[in-house]
Amino acid sequence: MTRSLWITTLALLLIAGGTLAFQAEPADDPEVNAPAPDFTLTDTNGTEHSLSDFEGQYVVLEWLNFDCPFVGKFYGSGEMPRLQETYRDQGVVWLSIVSSAPGTQGHFPPDEMNARNEQEGGQQDAILMDPEGTVGQMYGAQTTPHMYVINPEGTLIYKGGIDSIPSTNVDDIDEATNYVVEALDAAMNGEEVATQTAPPYGCSVKYAG
Amino acid sequence: MSHVPRTVGYSVLLLLWMMMPLLATAQSTDDPSPHSEATLVSEVETIAPGEPFTVAMRLQMDDGWHSYWKNAGDSGLATSIDWDLPEGFSAGDIQWPHPTVKEEGPLVTYGYSNETMLMVDITPPNDLEPGTEVTLEARGDWLICADICLPAHADLETTLLVEREARADTEWASAFADTRAQHPRPAEGVSVQAYRSDGSFVLELEGEALPDDGLRFIPGEKRTISNTAPQPVMRDGNTRYVALQASEYADGSTEALRGVLLGPDGFSWSDNEAPHPALAVDAPLEGEFTGDLSALAEASGSTSSTSLSLWGALGFAFIGGLLLNLMPCVFPVISLKILGFAKKSGEQPRIMRRHGGLFAAGVVVSFWVLAGLLLALRAAGEQIGWGFQLQSPGFIALMALLFVGIGLNLAGLFELGMGMTSVGSDVQQKASGYSESFLTGVLATIVATPCTAPLMGAALGVALTMSAVEAMSIFTALGVGMAAPYVVLSSVPALLNRLPKPGPWMETMKQLLAFPMFATALWLVWVFWQQVSIDGVALLLGAFLLLGLAGWVLGRWPAMQVEGRTWMASRAVVTTVVAGALALALLGAGTKAPASASGSPADAEWQSFSTEQVDTLRSDGTPVFIDFTAAWCLTCQVNKRTTLSTESVQQAFDDKGVTLIRADWTNRNDEITQALAEFNRSGVPLYVLYPGDGSDPVLLPEVLTPQIVLDALENLPDTRNDNPELADQRP
Repeated sequence: MTRSLWITTLALLLIAGGTLAFQAEPADDPEVNAPAPDFTLTDTNGTEHSLSDFEGQYVVLEWLNFDCPFVGKFYGSGEMPRLQETYRDQGVVWLSIVSSAPGTQGHFPPDEMNARNEQEGGQQDAILMDPEGTVGQMYGAQTTPHMYVINPEGTLIYKGGIDSIPSTNVDDIDEATNYVVEALDAAMNGEEVATQTAPPYGCSVKYAG
Repeated sequence: MSHVPRTVGYSVLLLLWMMMPLLATAQSTDDPSPHSEATLVSEVETIAPGEPFTVAMRLQMDDGWHSYWKNAGDSGLATSIDWDLPEGFSAGDIQWPHPTVKEEGPLVTYGYSNETMLMVDITPPNDLEPGTEVTLEARGDWLICADICLPAHADLETTLLVEREARADTEWASAFADTRAQHPRPAEGVSVQAYRSDGSFVLELEGEALPDDGLRFIPGEKRTISNTAPQPVMRDGNTRYVALQASEYADGSTEALRGVLLGPDGFSWSDNEAPHPALAVDAPLEGEFTGDLSALAEASGSTSSTSLSLWGALGFAFIGGLLLNLMPCVFPVISLKILGFAKKSGEQPRIMRRHGGLFAAGVVVSFWVLAGLLLALRAAGEQIGWGFQLQSPGFIALMALLFVGIGLNLAGLFELGMGMTSVGSDVQQKASGYSESFLTGVLATIVATPCTAPLMGAALGVALTMSAVEAMSIFTALGVGMAAPYVVLSSVPALLNRLPKPGPWMETMKQLLAFPMFATALWLVWVFWQQVSIDGVALLLGAFLLLGLAGWVLGRWPAMQVEGRTWMASRAVVTTVVAGALALALLGAGTKAPASASGSPADAEWQSFSTEQVDTLRSDGTPVFIDFTAAWCLTCQVNKRTTLSTESVQQAFDDKGVTLIRADWTNRNDEITQALAEFNRSGVPLYVLYPGDGSDPVLLPEVLTPQIVLDALENLPDTRNDNPELADQRP
């Protein structure tokens, strides 16, 4: 009896050691056609948003730094606000995420950020503050802008650059293929997204470090 | 009359007001090329009809600012030149000097600092009239970045005289020559081939006198390889293999690896001519790599000094196993075994040998089980290393329970069976004695795993890169080494006779040994605490209580003295209560650690580990000390108390400007496992000191003294701010 207790305990030890050690999952950058990882961030008005709140809707994540010339190209020309307005009218949730660390370019206190956004004409649903870069790193956001499109099932259907011509030149916007537009239009029409990833281009995200 | 001037006044005001935004804009873009200047320079003073010549956009950048190569890397933008040439002229592509690697936070970009010359060949028409002048015009566009980026442009212009013969411009001759030396080009006697390998790539280089390390491939196109992933170099005679990780943005269309291969600082790809720092690579992908990369990695050892042959590794494993016996976490269990031997010293040699053999078998079999598990999981792609069991709170909880149970038993709360504890009894129960010997071996192995003894780290690191058979033989050697003293002891009667004679002192000794057991349990609770919430700790303590209850029941109604219903009832209670204890412990293990658990509660001067952070610091020329540690690693904790936290050592770190980084492996962390693997290690502790001048890292021994660390720091070259330009780039 007592001996069998010994053996049972030891067997348990080995089995438990083997099985429990490997429950944690490695956190790699999300891949397209895989679930987009959930996160919770506070917006510039103090409201918390989780990705999971928007289940059932398309969600666009846009990495934002207003002082980056590549971002300036899309706000200065009115292109980004136009896209935001167009797709929000179709029920898409547009979240701009600022992963600039305090003290680095693109980071502003919430009030200033709101003022700046008004000046830039931003029409997104919310600007989310990610000063520690947690969500930026989680998604592997490299540049501003860096775009992610998530479908109503929570699957990432596009990640990468906003369009096909990496430049700061406003004139290139019309020439370029906008991959976010392509992905959203295709997915909403039940078609396959032709370009699922493209190299992101822009300024580096100003992570803490 | 007065109306007119007023109207005019209003109009002027209105006009001014309307222009204000324009004026404001003009203000901010006052300088079209902030922090940088571009000019167009020519290698020739005069040009001849139809004879190509070279010009260059010369880009001078302020300290701390940089522009980008044709592939900017993770962020940034390549410089471009838009030509406006007289009729009949044509311009070639930009001839890019090799870039340098820039680290921007966690990202990697490729570009130029200080000054660069982007050369372009211009071909004039054949029908140029000698004696006339031609003006070449272009617009240069570039991105100038420090920690922030600004777009810049310049209108470039140069006027050249047409003559029958072209004449060089001596002013720029050396600048053009120097720039040409920076152009990537093939090297005589060096061949490059590229292969796919598991979705990633391998570059194979063949040639004489190739560098062993410090090779860096810079892709010429964006969607090929990851810019941030390490590029381990493996050696095999005159061949070098560089493993390259595919970009997460690769679209599978990569047909060739094109780009630049840099050697270590100051390396030249050719010995016959002046500097040749960059090798041009244009290698079509030729199918799947057929060699065994992990075997190559083992043979080359990415840090060169730690590579071991199989026999060497077996030897080290054996010695490591021997040393495991001296580790604080093994000692109590081992003491028990010695007690057992002393008790049985009157036995026939044959029986004693069997006990020794069974103990050894217990040790070796446990090593096999653990190693098999480890190998199987690594084969399945898990990033784990030695000591991995201790990263599981469930395992820790059960271990703690086990230690409490053994402690209670030793302290005399209850008796387990007869043979094990009835000290002084001359009736030995052979069968139970044998299984006990085996189980003691198992127990000793389980508790030994966190104590990666000196040298064992290297042996295990090699083992994990070897074939399964070789790896298992390493683990076998380890187990044999650990069991060897007892096998020897049990098979040499002369030694056995020198053990003290059994007597009442053994009971005292046994009870005393309960305390190291409880101490070990306390330590395990502390480790457990790092992994789970405080609720989990409370549940585990509750499990201890239940175990105590079960022990009391066993002791109050011992097996030999109760019968029938009492036996049934008491044993039912014990079973239920023990099951409850196990359930509580596992429940506690399931509670989530508080979110902040990743940042170790430790001292402010230690930063937590990230590969990017280390790479950044190293490229900044900052000396870095990395403490690979875990809460469950006792050696690590001892080193921390006795050495790393002492004032003298801290002061020395401070004096040398060493950045302290703690890689906490208490919970699973793939990044740290990978970093350990780069040093051929699969366990902690590991202490790495990067001198900061780009030379090879120094590995300190696994048992530290302040003097060892101070000596290592003493040897640090004084390289602070050696490279202010790079250091400035990172705020």
